[in-house]
Parts: sequence; C-alpha cells; structure tokens
Amino acid sequence: MDYREMVKSIPLTIRRPISEKLIDVLLEAKEGKKVPSSICKHILYYWNRDKLHSELGLMNLLKAVELADPKEANIVLAEFNLCYVKLTSSPDN
Amino acid sequence: MKTFGIEFVPMKLYWRTTYYSIQAEKVGYDNIWITDHFNNRNVYVSLSVIANYTDSIKLGPGVTNPYLVHPVMTAQSVASLNEIAPGRVLCGIGAGDRTTLEMVGKEMERPLRTVRESVEIIRRQLAREKGEYAGRKFSTTAGARFNFKVEDEIPIYVGAQGPRMLQLAGEIGDGVLINASHPKDIEEAVKQVRKGAEKAGRNIDYIEVAAYTSFSVAEDEKSARKPVVPVVAYIVAGSPKVILERHDIPAEKAEKIRTDLAGRNWGEAFGAVDQEMIDSFAICGTPDQCVEKIENLFKKGITQFVTGTPVGPTVRGSINLFGEEVLPHFKETN
Repeated sequence: MDYREMVKSIPLTIRRPISEKLIDVLLEAKEGKKVPSSICKHILYYWNRDKLHSELGLMNLLKAVELADPKEANIVLAEFNLCYVKLTSSPDN
Repeated sequence: MKTFGIEFVPMKLYWRTTYYSIQAEKVGYDNIWITDHFNNRNVYVSLSVIANYTDSIKLGPGVTNPYLVHPVMTAQSVASLNEIAPGRVLCGIGAGDRTTLEMVGKEMERPLRTVRESVEIIRRQLAREKGEYAGRKFSTTAGARFNFKVEDEIPIYVGAQGPRMLQLAGEIGDGVLINASHPKDIEEAVKQVRKGAEKAGRNIDYIEVAAYTSFSVAEDEKSARKPVVPVVAYIVAGSPKVILERHDIPAEKAEKIRTDLAGRNWGEAFGAVDQEMIDSFAICGTPDQCVEKIENLFKKGITQFVTGTPVGPTVRGSINLFGEEVLPHFKETN
C-alpha cells in the first residue's frame, strides 16, 4: 500500500476536512489499540503543529485508520468521492 | 482573571488522552488536570506524554493522594515533570476517594493531618530544605533531600469537598480544587476556604479557587445529560453527609450506590442516579445553558472553572463546542 501516492491523489482543497473526519474515526474506533505507538506519536506530532492535513500527517492518519477501522474510513473517503482510494481490511477486522 | 481547566481520566489509550490535551490547548484552556487512580493509566506517564506534545498549557495531577503515594514521591514526580515542561506544572493533592482506597485495603485515616503534612513535605522537597521533618503521619531525615534543584514554582492545589478540608486548603494551599458543581455548594465552599485563609492570616484573593465539576456540553440538553450519569454516581457515593443533606439525598441511597460501585454492579449504581442528582452534581446542557451556569459559579467566588469528565457525548466534539461557544463568553480565545 503506497500511502504517499494515496495522499498525492487527494486534492489539496479537501485535505483538511478529510483529516478532521479521519481523526474522528480514529478517536472512536474500537480497534484503536491495533495502531502502533510509533504511528500514534507521529499523528500527535503533526496535530500539535496543526499539520495533520499535510502530506505526512495524512499518510500517518491513513495508516492508522486502516488498522483501527478501515470500513468506517472508506465510508469517509467515499463521502469525498475518493472511492479510488481504498483502504483494505485485514482478516482480523 | 477567569481561568479554565479540563480534567481527563486516563482510561483511554494514551494517544487519545494526549490528542484531546493538545486540542484543549488549541481552543484556549489554561490547565490540564489528570486524575490519579490505580485502575487507570499512570498519572505521571500520562502527564509526561502530554507535556511533550503541548507547548504552553499548564498541567498536573488532579488529584493525587498521600495514602497510595508518599509525598516525597509526589514531590519527585512533579519536580521531574517540571524539567520537561518548565514553569507549567501544577500539583493537586487531596485525601483521595474512599471507595477506591477501600478496594486496596487502605483506610482514609486522619485526612486533614495527612494532607497537611503531605503539602508541607512536598514544599520542603521542592525547596530542597535541609534537615528533618518530624510529623505525626510522615517523617523524613536530612538524607531525603533532592539531588537536583527545581527551578520553577509549582503551585499546590488542595482537593477538597468537606468544610474542614476546604478550610485547610484556605490555610495552606496555593489553590483549592473544590469537588462541586452546584452554586449552593460552591458558595459554602468558598466561605470555608476564606475562613481557613483568614485563620492563617492569608488573603483569599491570592488563592486560586477552582470548581472541579462534572461537565458535559452538547448541542441539545438530552445528549449533554446522559454522559454525566456514571460520574455523578461516584460523586454521590463519595460525598460527605453534609453535602448529601444539602441536596436532600438520603444517606442510605448514597451508601447503596457506593456498595454497587465497589462491587462493579454498574447497572444498579448508574440506574440509581436521578435528575435531581445530576442537577446537584454536574454542570451540563447546551452551550448557552453552560455559560449561564458557569457564570453563576464565578459570581460565587471561583477563579477557575474545570470541565471535568465526561466533557460531553464525544470528547473531541464537546471540546470544540466549548472552545467555540462557551469560552469566548469569558475570555479572548485564539
């Protein structure tokens, strides 16, 4: 999964609203503990700097929601007409 | 000056609590208080992470207790935290929660003496005072002195609910965290704090008086009220007789809730919380309703309002709502 390419395909104008929706998914996801601490710390780093919507911020968000709740994350992406950006469910989800 | 704090109970994954803490800083809160209960994540681990990912918001335990943690360890912890977040550390200490202390076989013995001596020891440690301390509950020898200097002041807040602890807070605290949400309780509490301050020759104007409330804000009142039920159950269970009587809550009802909580019978405990209890022990409602209730508490003499757990039906949504529609009524925000 090339997250960088995924993020590059998201129009700049919608990156901030998408990051807001994805963080909501992540904060409420039942499987939040599946997200490695290293990714969480990156997300906190970018959030502190108000850069969650940046390329690296979004990359980390996408990695995190793919582990925590890919189904809900895909719904969010579809809401923004980004059906071509699809996160995969692992067998555990 | 009106200041605002937010309380988090570290029940959630550390990064979620930290996310909300960053958010609290961004919307304009002044202080973060992290609770200290052994069945949640460690208070100082939580605070350290928050300190690392925030820049200016003040933070501290709200509150630790000297029955489970010796005051020299509390002094060590807040002093160490101050190295990570210089000038940003607060220290909240109180007698603790009777229900949870009993879970590990600890009795809340002589709480006034215990808290008084704890505050004295913490101050001595932070100041690296030489010599011994010979109290009735605690003692330290000269060897207990820190090996490092603490460069900044760390205000000590005393957590209090009953009249004598409130008076003690007025006597010795840099601040007081009043475990109350109702104007009647706050008014009475401030009176007791003032009494204690005057007894010690102090001016209450130099004591930070915080209402440490159970809080919930939402777009509609019903959504705001529901999340406070579990917290109100714990408050009722731990309230002294004088507080229960003030709110016409029978002692047996409170005792039943306490027994159910101790036995983890959540359904029974929470089911016993009624609307009057919510109105007595929580600030909740729409933003406008909350503004009115908070303003009322400032008029009763508080200088800090703490939005305690649960904050709202969704923490992120409610922190944003608070920042956008409540805080601006009281202070200039970002």
